[in-house]
Amino acid sequence: MRCLILGYGYMGRTRHQLLKGHSAVKAIGIFDPYIDPKKENIQQEYLNSPDIPWDAFDAVFVCTPNHVTAQYVIEGLKHCGNVFCEKPPGRNWEELCGIDEAASARPDHTLVFGFNHRLHPSVQTAKAFIGKGGLGEVLYMKGSYGKSGGSKYRESWRNHRATSGGGILLDQGIHMLDIFQFFLGPLQVVDAVLADLFWKCDVEDNAYVLLKSEKGQPAFLHSSATLWKHTFHFEIGCQDGYLTASGLLTKSGSYGREKLVIGRRQFEEEAFALGNPREEIIYFDRDESWQKEIDEFLQAVQEKRQATYGTLTEAKQVMALIRDVYQRTQRG
Amino acid sequence: MSIRGRKGVNMQSVQTSHLFSLAGVKPLEGLLRYRDHCLVATEKALAHCNQRRRVSPCSGEELKQWKKVGKFEYFRCEASGSLFLADLPEPDIWADLLREVSRYRDSSKTFHQEIRPSRAENVLKPKLTWIKNVLRLHNIQNASILEVVTPPSDLTPFLKKCNYFGEVLTVDESDLLKQETIRNHAFHTALLLESLDRIYDPKNLLQVTSQHLKKGGLIFVTALVSSGFDMMLLQEKNIYLFPPDRTNCFSRKGLEQLLEKSGFELLEVSTPGILDVEIVKAHLKQGASISLSTFERALLDAPEEVCNDFQAFLQKSELSSFARIVGRKK
Ligand SMILES: NC(=O)c1ccc[n+]([C@@H]2O[C@H](COP(=O)([O-])OP(=O)(O)OC[C@H]3O[C@@H](n4cnc5c(N)ncnc54)[C@H](O)[C@@H]3O)[C@@H](O)[C@H]2O)c1
Repeated sequence: MRCLILGYGYMGRTRHQLLKGHSAVKAIGIFDPYIDPKKENIQQEYLNSPDIPWDAFDAVFVCTPNHVTAQYVIEGLKHCGNVFCEKPPGRNWEELCGIDEAASARPDHTLVFGFNHRLHPSVQTAKAFIGKGGLGEVLYMKGSYGKSGGSKYRESWRNHRATSGGGILLDQGIHMLDIFQFFLGPLQVVDAVLADLFWKCDVEDNAYVLLKSEKGQPAFLHSSATLWKHTFHFEIGCQDGYLTASGLLTKSGSYGREKLVIGRRQFEEEAFALGNPREEIIYFDRDESWQKEIDEFLQAVQEKRQATYGTLTEAKQVMALIRDVYQRTQRG
Repeated sequence: MSIRGRKGVNMQSVQTSHLFSLAGVKPLEGLLRYRDHCLVATEKALAHCNQRRRVSPCSGEELKQWKKVGKFEYFRCEASGSLFLADLPEPDIWADLLREVSRYRDSSKTFHQEIRPSRAENVLKPKLTWIKNVLRLHNIQNASILEVVTPPSDLTPFLKKCNYFGEVLTVDESDLLKQETIRNHAFHTALLLESLDRIYDPKNLLQVTSQHLKKGGLIFVTALVSSGFDMMLLQEKNIYLFPPDRTNCFSRKGLEQLLEKSGFELLEVSTPGILDVEIVKAHLKQGASISLSTFERALLDAPEEVCNDFQAFLQKSELSSFARIVGRKK
């Protein structure tokens, strides 16, 4: 398979590393007009022309800032039919609708969106405990995901409304919304509060979103760019126990060691353990989420089918939530 | 690019707040009688043995002299810290010894009978839950199970009764080692719970077991490890270290090496042991002559809450002496 990477920043490099070692990949091309291929040591793969030679590739990886995402995904679908797009799927709902149209016009396509967090080991392990896994049905979810911004926060394209389409909710919060949907199915927004009290970039630096599932299960998200201690944390309350995931395996390690606490309800031993049940904590040390995404996408392309995760339907569900939050809070 | 902690390991440590007492699962006092029986039986089994182990099954390096456990000399693998009985027994004689000891353990003559309900609750059921959870996580339904053990096994009825697995076949580990054929050659799962501790050829047992697993099949291993707190403190004075039950006492690293060399990718390496601190305390109470540093003594004399926190730290840091490993056949 011949793969084209558009955008060679953090994610472009990550995808490049993975594709280089993949047995299904025969050739790689990299397009990014703003980098020096020599510095990056990618002279061989680098495409120097101002035009993208779409037809020379079988699959496209869109790893650019959000303002060009939709346009590239649409072109990629048209010419190659197979596109892997980093989240978010465009700057807004309208851009995603454009992608949807392009996908409908090309029924044999494979389109995957990079919601890799649901493939993290703590999330996958949590899923195995739900329902018949021993903890019963989910009663509620609560998640907090945030970073501290840092001195270059204001300069980043992520916080320029015209380029990114939104603030921390669209950048990081989208992952937690995807995780909520992974456990609860489609959600709807009940209420939301957005704030931009610290960074004042005209995009939200804090988002509080209250949601509910079709079965009425509540979920609550705090997405923040003012969490001075980097945080990834979610809780799932179940009929027969609870799960608390925290920490996230990342390159920097700044979110802490990824772990999952499993607690079991113990009414049966009330006198002994009421409100203080036995817990087990699992610590994880390997994140295969990027690898799994790539493997599944390439396999889906080879088998001419849709992928099993990161689908257009899931992307639409999660973008509809963000659209609704922005509409409600009149920031859209 | 996958971000790895230790090479290859996905799920590293498991910490649990499940507590039970040493008396409930392996009381030191009761163990002494059983241990004496084992030592006498081992002495007999090794009476005509004139071969010694030379190389470590984990690192392949030459073994070095370590210490004596009663009359029995143990060697040490320097690279991994694993310990091995120096004498290399005759396979058939060793198989008979393991069977005899296992029958004795199952008889009314040992403490094992009295604590059966407590062991079921605190040892067997958690093991069963662990196996089920891992299979669920890896989406393996109706798994066929190859239980590799010296029968009788307390776990077999639990495996069969729980209605969770497909075929459950219990095989004698010594027979398996002799490559005696078994019907189903491609199991989803193999259980080697403390088997590697007692078998005379652990490397070969792993290889033969692997031959009976499907590609991608899972192996579950538990062991007492020399890298755990009570083992490190008590060394040869740890009365839980004796042949034939602990013919081999791998370190955590040694077990990892052995499994990886046998073609398994490590999915879980954890030491969720609960009893390290209590074991050391029990030895001290019995008057064992162990030289402890001032810090170690202060730690062991600390209030229960501190000891529990320390035990939790051992679990989290993979420093407890009860190890659990899950590997996937490549
Ligand atoms: N799944 C995750 O956890 C995760 C993590 C980080 C980023 N992302 C997503 O990946 C995408 C890229 O983020 P990043 O962190 O790599 O950003 P980045 O700023 O590090 O890299 C973006 C690259 O795109 C290049 N670029 C800009 N305009 C271009 C154009 N028109 N054509 C080609 N290249 C162009 C830039 O020169 C830059 O090298 C974003 O959509 C982001 O949300 C996802």
